[in-house]
Amino acid sequence: MFCRNQTARATVARGSALEMEIRRGKFRKSVFLDTSQDSDIQKKIDHEIRMRDGACKLLAACSQRDQALEAAKSLQTCSTRIMAYMSELQRMKEAQVMQKVTRRSSDAGPMDDRLPCKGKVAISDLRIPLMWKDTEYFKNKGELHRCAVFCLLQLGGEIFDTDMVIVDRTLTDICFDNTIVFSEASPGFELRVELYSCCSEDDYSAGSTPRKLASKLSSSLGRSAGKKLRAAMEPGPCSPVSNGGAAPLLLPVPSVPGPKYHLLAHTTLSLSHVQDSFRTHDLTISGNEECSYWLPLYGSMCCRLAAQPHCMTQQMMSGCLKVKQCGGDPQTWTKVYAVLKGTSLFCYHRQEDVEANIEPAFTIGINKETRIRASEKDPHSKVQNICISNQYGGEAVTHTLTTDSREDTHSWMEAFWQHFYDMSQWKQCCDDLMKIELPSPRKPAPVTPKQGSLYHEMVIESSDDLSSTVSDILARRMQELELRSQLGTSPTWMSVFEENNAKCAGRTRHCTSRLSGHSPCTPHRLPRSPASPHRCPQLGLLSSDASLTSDSDSHCSTSPCSHHHGWPEPSSNFSLLSSSPSRLRPRTLSLDAKLSTLRGRGYGGGGAFQCPCQPPPSSLLAPLPISSRSPRTQHSTQTTLSCSSSTSSNSSSNSEGSHSPESSEGVPFSRPSPARRSLRNLRARLDPRTWLQSQV
Amino acid sequence: MSFVPGQPVTAVVQRIEIQKLRQGNNLILGFSIGGGIDQDPGQNPFSEDKTDKGIYVTRITSGGPADVAGLMMGDKIMQVNGWDMTMVTHDKARKRLTKKNEDVVRLLVTRKSLEEAVKHSMGGYPRP
Repeated sequence: MFCRNQTARATVARGSALEMEIRRGKFRKSVFLDTSQDSDIQKKIDHEIRMRDGACKLLAACSQRDQALEAAKSLQTCSTRIMAYMSELQRMKEAQVMQKVTRRSSDAGPMDDRLPCKGKVAISDLRIPLMWKDTEYFKNKGELHRCAVFCLLQLGGEIFDTDMVIVDRTLTDICFDNTIVFSEASPGFELRVELYSCCSEDDYSAGSTPRKLASKLSSSLGRSAGKKLRAAMEPGPCSPVSNGGAAPLLLPVPSVPGPKYHLLAHTTLSLSHVQDSFRTHDLTISGNEECSYWLPLYGSMCCRLAAQPHCMTQQMMSGCLKVKQCGGDPQTWTKVYAVLKGTSLFCYHRQEDVEANIEPAFTIGINKETRIRASEKDPHSKVQNICISNQYGGEAVTHTLTTDSREDTHSWMEAFWQHFYDMSQWKQCCDDLMKIELPSPRKPAPVTPKQGSLYHEMVIESSDDLSSTVSDILARRMQELELRSQLGTSPTWMSVFEENNAKCAGRTRHCTSRLSGHSPCTPHRLPRSPASPHRCPQLGLLSSDASLTSDSDSHCSTSPCSHHHGWPEPSSNFSLLSSSPSRLRPRTLSLDAKLSTLRGRGYGGGGAFQCPCQPPPSSLLAPLPISSRSPRTQHSTQTTLSCSSSTSSNSSSNSEGSHSPESSEGVPFSRPSPARRSLRNLRARLDPRTWLQSQV
Repeated sequence: MSFVPGQPVTAVVQRIEIQKLRQGNNLILGFSIGGGIDQDPGQNPFSEDKTDKGIYVTRITSGGPADVAGLMMGDKIMQVNGWDMTMVTHDKARKRLTKKNEDVVRLLVTRKSLEEAVKHSMGGYPRP
């Protein structure tokens, strides 16, 4: 070993022959050797580091769970790639060092052993079955524990990840639709498949793993490569090592708060697993039931692993030949342009036929049973002939090839030997060409329709921006709670933009009585609803496109406004409302609710009235007697609304936290009228936890 | 409407044709369904008969395609594009409504008010 020899010397004396030799060798090396390879890897590492930094920033910045999971996945992939590149760089540097010292001359000499050709390996249709307890799967009760999973596939230096899939107990298998193609794989490849999962309801907390990783990496590079190289040569000014030495500075993987993926299962696939159809492979599972990221895996994985060695897809050799078939036709030589590809030698009349895709004149099979040998020197010509024997059925058919020069014959023989060698290395992949479907570029990930129950729509995560989430939810609630008797069908959402209708046209009988009395009041409070039909202006659309929060009129213009069903005695309401100027300025709906909730009890009446900017319209469901409105029903609408998202009596379990204190307040609220109660019951009974509902 | 196993179900239905709306990559109809033979029928707030395991409309997105077409909350869906929905699982029902290659769904829905209306208009409408 070089380093051992070197340590025998205390130092390399300056100006010594060895040092000069080394220096000289290094310079020569830097001219001849592929430091371009080095810089390639360095570039890749830099790129991945940039990607990783980007992912970290995104992770720190994003608030949505999905984004965070995606960012964490990219982070994981980038980290793995960086590790792989680093180790490759290290290997290369070590190889360089070895070369520099052991070989004075840069000429490596001809390789004696043959290398098999490379090929493409593709893995697709990954499917990992899960093994839920049947009670979990069928009864569909209880918390829906969700995990985000993805697969990391590594072959050689290439690392790819699949798309992320959210898994819960309604799924029986984890399916990854991606097709991953590795382009330069040798027959002895090892494709490592790793399944990472992350609990989808976890708090974001920084883990300690990245630190260990970082320390390992930095120490390993420092220890092996750095020391060796430093021992090998005096700190040369232009030593390529110094680049590598700088790398560890970038190493420490930042530990970001956010979802962290853990390795759940892994397996390694190799050439023996390659087949043109689906096969099942065993997974090694790490982790146990206690882990948060645990999923009950069945223990196997199905996938289709296909390989296309280059000898099957590319032209290995081509040139002009003369072919004669023994025993068959008269002994005449046919001049052909032959192409060796796959399991055949295609013989075309002319070279142009190859590009023109014309059928070859004839085809000689080259497969495992073919025998090729060089025949004795033909006395007529100076070159040797090549005899190819095949067994077609029971018959042996022999073709004889000859070329114009000895070098050509030699290169053809060489090509045949190489081809046979490749076929013996790639084994079953060379029987027939396996199809590999290239993934269509830029295919947008299909958004799976949300299967979760309404309950999941209602969940407000603590890290989310409360105001926008709540306003979204409230807006949606508003839409659904309308009078059933409303029959207007004009484009409802257009009315959102009609700002000048102060009077409600009152098409339905429910409206007229109410609205006529209210038209005089603050017209700006009814900016759009009046003329609009009663399918309320698409508040839903508003909220989905732009946050409700910025819409100053929205809280006024909600459907209930149009019918005033939600508004209790308008006079009293208005007086109070007009008295609170804060009402009129643009404000986030839910922020109102939140504020009022927080100070709710203190406000008493005043605070409660600020809440009403929440669409009170839970009242609008079903034909409800309007007459039973009282100022307090205003509050009860609040109550109702808040109850609608949870069971009626249990305010503590209310997912809309902002409203819960309201519902539990008995003091300012009167006993809700029977109508409101039935509505409340209706909303409560539509609790998705007890009765599954799906949005279509 | 009550359902007697083995006997044909008769109901007054309304045809509703809903054009699906494209939102990004999805085709949405704008309503939610509940029910199904694998669900608990006692939880259905819209059904008269608490053993009815049919598919009911639980929620309509205001201004959405279903709303525009006249679907109402509480409707029971009897057929979708010719496929029966009175005896299907919840997931099957959802799938029949969300086929990606169909732009329009033609539903047959029934609701109590329809029965009433027919009864009143025909006077002496024979009870099934």
